[in-house]
Amino acid sequence: MRPRWIKVFHDLWDNKARTLLVVFSIAVGVFSIGVIAGAYQIISNDMSISYAANQPANVELRTVGFNQDVLGSIQNTHGVLDAEARRVFNMRVRVAGTEKWTTLDMVAFEDFEANTVNLLTALQGDVIPKKREVVLERDALNHVDVQVGNVLEFQLQDGSTKTMPVVGVVQDTAMGAGDFLASPYAYVSMSSLQYLRQPELFNRAYVTVETGGDDIRHIRVIGADLKDKLEKNGTRVIRTRFSETYEHPLASTVNAILGILMALGILIVFLSSSLIANTLSALLNQHLRHIGVIKLVGGRKRQIFEMYLVLIMSFAALALLITVPLGGQGAYGLALFISSELNFNVLGYRIVPMALLIQVAVGLMVPLIAGLSPVISGSRITVLRALSGDLTGDESQPQGQQQTRVSWLDRMLIRLTRILASRGIHFPRPFIISLRNTFRRRGRLILTLFTLTMGGAIFIAVFNVRATLHAYIGSIGKYFVADVTLDFDQPYRLREIEQMVMQVNGVVGMEGWQFVSGELLDVNGEVLENINIFGPPADSVLIEPLLVKGRWIHADDVRKLALSEAAYGYFPNIEPGDQVTLKIDGREEDWEVIGIFKFVDREGVLAYAPYEYISQMNNLANRSYSFRLITENHERSYQNAKAEELDKFFRERGFKVRVAQAGRATLDTAVESLDTLVVFLLIMAILTAVVGAMGLTGTMGMNVLERTREIGITRAIGADDRAVMSMVISEGLVIGAISFVLAIILSIPFTYLLSTIVSLAVFETPIDVIYTFMGYVIWFGLVLVLSVVASILPARNAARLTIREVLAYE
Amino acid sequence: MKPPRSNPSTARGARPTIDSARKIPPESDAMIQLHDVVKTFSNAAGEFTVLKGLDLKIKRGEFVSIVGKSGSGKSTLLNMVTGIDHPSDGQVVVNDVDIYTNFTESQRSKWRGRNLGIVFQFFQLLPMLTLLENVMLPMDYVDMYDFNKRPERAMDLLKLVGLEKFANKLPVLVSTGQQQLAAIARAMACDPPLLVADEPTGNLDTRSADTIIQLFETFVSQGKTIVLVTHDPSITSRTHRNIIISDGELIDETISRALPLLRHRHMLEFTKLVEERVYRPHETIIPRDQHVDYFFMIRKGGVEVILQGKKKDHIVSRLGENEFFGEMELLRGGKSIANVRAGGQPVEVLALPRADFIRVMNESPITAEALGKIVQKRLEEHQIADYRR
Repeated sequence: MRPRWIKVFHDLWDNKARTLLVVFSIAVGVFSIGVIAGAYQIISNDMSISYAANQPANVELRTVGFNQDVLGSIQNTHGVLDAEARRVFNMRVRVAGTEKWTTLDMVAFEDFEANTVNLLTALQGDVIPKKREVVLERDALNHVDVQVGNVLEFQLQDGSTKTMPVVGVVQDTAMGAGDFLASPYAYVSMSSLQYLRQPELFNRAYVTVETGGDDIRHIRVIGADLKDKLEKNGTRVIRTRFSETYEHPLASTVNAILGILMALGILIVFLSSSLIANTLSALLNQHLRHIGVIKLVGGRKRQIFEMYLVLIMSFAALALLITVPLGGQGAYGLALFISSELNFNVLGYRIVPMALLIQVAVGLMVPLIAGLSPVISGSRITVLRALSGDLTGDESQPQGQQQTRVSWLDRMLIRLTRILASRGIHFPRPFIISLRNTFRRRGRLILTLFTLTMGGAIFIAVFNVRATLHAYIGSIGKYFVADVTLDFDQPYRLREIEQMVMQVNGVVGMEGWQFVSGELLDVNGEVLENINIFGPPADSVLIEPLLVKGRWIHADDVRKLALSEAAYGYFPNIEPGDQVTLKIDGREEDWEVIGIFKFVDREGVLAYAPYEYISQMNNLANRSYSFRLITENHERSYQNAKAEELDKFFRERGFKVRVAQAGRATLDTAVESLDTLVVFLLIMAILTAVVGAMGLTGTMGMNVLERTREIGITRAIGADDRAVMSMVISEGLVIGAISFVLAIILSIPFTYLLSTIVSLAVFETPIDVIYTFMGYVIWFGLVLVLSVVASILPARNAARLTIREVLAYE
Repeated sequence: MKPPRSNPSTARGARPTIDSARKIPPESDAMIQLHDVVKTFSNAAGEFTVLKGLDLKIKRGEFVSIVGKSGSGKSTLLNMVTGIDHPSDGQVVVNDVDIYTNFTESQRSKWRGRNLGIVFQFFQLLPMLTLLENVMLPMDYVDMYDFNKRPERAMDLLKLVGLEKFANKLPVLVSTGQQQLAAIARAMACDPPLLVADEPTGNLDTRSADTIIQLFETFVSQGKTIVLVTHDPSITSRTHRNIIISDGELIDETISRALPLLRHRHMLEFTKLVEERVYRPHETIIPRDQHVDYFFMIRKGGVEVILQGKKKDHIVSRLGENEFFGEMELLRGGKSIANVRAGGQPVEVLALPRADFIRVMNESPITAEALGKIVQKRLEEHQIADYRR
């Protein structure tokens, strides 16, 4: 091997710590982008394949009870490929012998073996429960601490309990897909319904279409036909849902989130490239003498350029060696995590060629680009300068003939110190050293600040986004102000329920609400979307709508409604005063839009009309199925206790209670779902912060290395270990503090950007941004800790230097 | 100008002071004492000893120069004194403190800040601080003087070195001479009793160098001890003592003063070969008309050179410390023409065997020539001719 290549090998091998730092700098960015690109590919591919593999229903009809004949009629409808009927009802369950009740959605099958729509996947034990046996969906295991073979207690409407053993665990990727708020499922056979005192009737139909499984308009048309048909047969359809076969209901949300992660991944690549640039620049600085000697003995610019290029490529190759397999594993891990959170399956571990290509391209190109400038300037250096030992490269102290010039920043800092001193404010000189040292290597400072600031801004923005999402959920919660929601299986008179609930200690108010569902039609009478109309009393105190336009409902409104913003998806220019055509109970009606409000509705358009009118429509004047109660305390735990108490209270008195639920339950579930998303973002933010901290460590290490002589001087004139370490750590803290100030500024556009992307992905509407001091406070603490941690190692190295090394420099 | 130390109860370094913790009983007037100091370095090629058992004592108030060729060990010696490096063996006592026993590097730094000032060849001012701030820095590190008084003291020191107008300038904006003056002011910031300088004028023009030596002389006159490494003969001539180090060993100062033109390696050889002799008052050292077998250098006391006249003996010259005798006979051959005896006090001399003296003179024609001139001069001064020829 030629001597120069031997040198390259030694450069790589001899200083292992430096090699590791460079390799790690490259690896961070390559790993991040590899993980995200791989996960993106795996998820976007597997999500729809896995979803479609389970024969998801294109139309779901939620109805009052129907029998096998009605199912036959559905199956025979034109355009229907297949249809299955089930009975879905919720029950409270607990592990026998324990106290904690959990609500499960019970799904009764007529024939598990004939399951062709919304297929169940066997995971454990038996997948076909016999009479008085139950099979759980895997998500239920997160809510009920139960194993196959254990016995569960099921609470009946009269408060008595029945027991059934858990015989198996299945996965149902289709049924709860797209519904963040769905309860976990349990499966029984229809033969168990009598035991559970449930009517042996179906209340859901799951339908696949013959053709056009990916044409949502076609699916809606079939759905509307089916609804008409059922209602004409006297089977009231409460709600319909439409889904495409190859489009997971959450695909767009997941893709949007992955898009954000991808953007953050690219950012990390940028940040790591600045880290690489810094490290390589310092490496070249350390090698100036070598370059001088090489040139002295005849080495040409091009040869030096080639040597260092090969060195950089070797670093890149080493980084790729580590990150390609790790990135592949990480991508699969992330995909697996997301898939388990969203209940779909990935199709096994594999190398994603696109992710691999991206990793290799980033791994080779980024170090090359980042290192090009230092390598070119290093190879161009004159022998004289290379050998002169001018290694400090102090940008604030011009070299050569310009030596008598001082930069404006130094002049400003000195002037500032003098002005303060003249007012009696003196800074200790060691701190002045730290302060002024900060600004000596400006290029390096800018790169370090860039990484730390970006990390900080994203970190703060993630907290703001979290606050924004929570605030929005909170404001959405104003549509559900009730402390306890009490639903019955039959309507009861308002006055009767009011008299009853007022006997329950802690209940201070009650409202009866009604509900009606229909379809929103276009001008041609084609079904556009489901519409669910809530009917609270016009003077309800349990709803505080976020009106975008128009007004809220009045008691005397007839065929007037307030629409959710989702309507903009179908009528972009809709205004209060416009008419919309609805199909309710098979009849087409024109309703006047009186207002438009903000809401999250992933299952169609939501609307509000006064109870006074809806109750007339439903022929349920002064009666209701659903009651909203106000308690004197609004804590979740109090609400839970009251819900349980009310449930028991009404069951004992013979009322057909369907469910009594804490008002915050739905909201908390939504918040938890959002928090999962926020955790993703936070992981990325922490990753950027780690890159920032690494950048700072590298910078401080290089600074210490270059200021060995100065540190030795301070030692010579009395600086002990503590003083030397303080000097280095203070510089780190100054950089951290500057980055914090910059991060505050940058966090504002980042917050807007992230909030908008996330809210559009999750809520399909832009939402008002909320700023929280929490992110700022935590980041301030964190950046200080990171700064200290990042500076400790270089500071310790600095404190270990002896002045003999100073003299060795001379 | 005695520095009022900051209040011990409030000062950061208010713990039991490292100085008192390792204080050893003061030995008379010694500022620096080296006892059998050995320094060995190791590298891939093996071990090599840079300092080979040095013994040295420098008194308080002395102005001492250390000279030696590159690689002779002078910087290592200086590092031993300043606590910058660690001896492999032996003891170093500075200002009555054994600085290498139970002292951490960190504690030694703090001790150094309080007890000695260091001046470097390349000034080593911190480039990001103004001259004033550079001078204040040691006070901050060792917490001397009240915080608000430090600017005033630093300014006084800058005035002392004539740099008050440049106090708020960065080092890069003043001349190299001014930088060294500022470095001296910084070294004196904590009013240390000892100033150590490593070639302080090596990088300066003659005028600046002279200013600095004058400053040193002022400090010495105020009772400071100054030890400096230099190559400049104009400086060594102005110091009280000139310590020569060669190949890691100290040259006997009597030899170096008696034979300043001799190569250092020969001086070192002589140092090893000479035997010390003490003669009582008026005791004969070289009798007349005898073969002379030694070359003598006077360490302490004086000798009388007595010639036999036609009528009576008479003293032709009196030689004092660092002078030599016996060279005429050794260089010119023959028997002694004069009787050399101790003076009125006991005399300590270093006696070098003839063979070694002759061999070295053959190897060092410059010294031989210089000695020849001295012989000639002595003969002429005494107006005596060798009547035996």
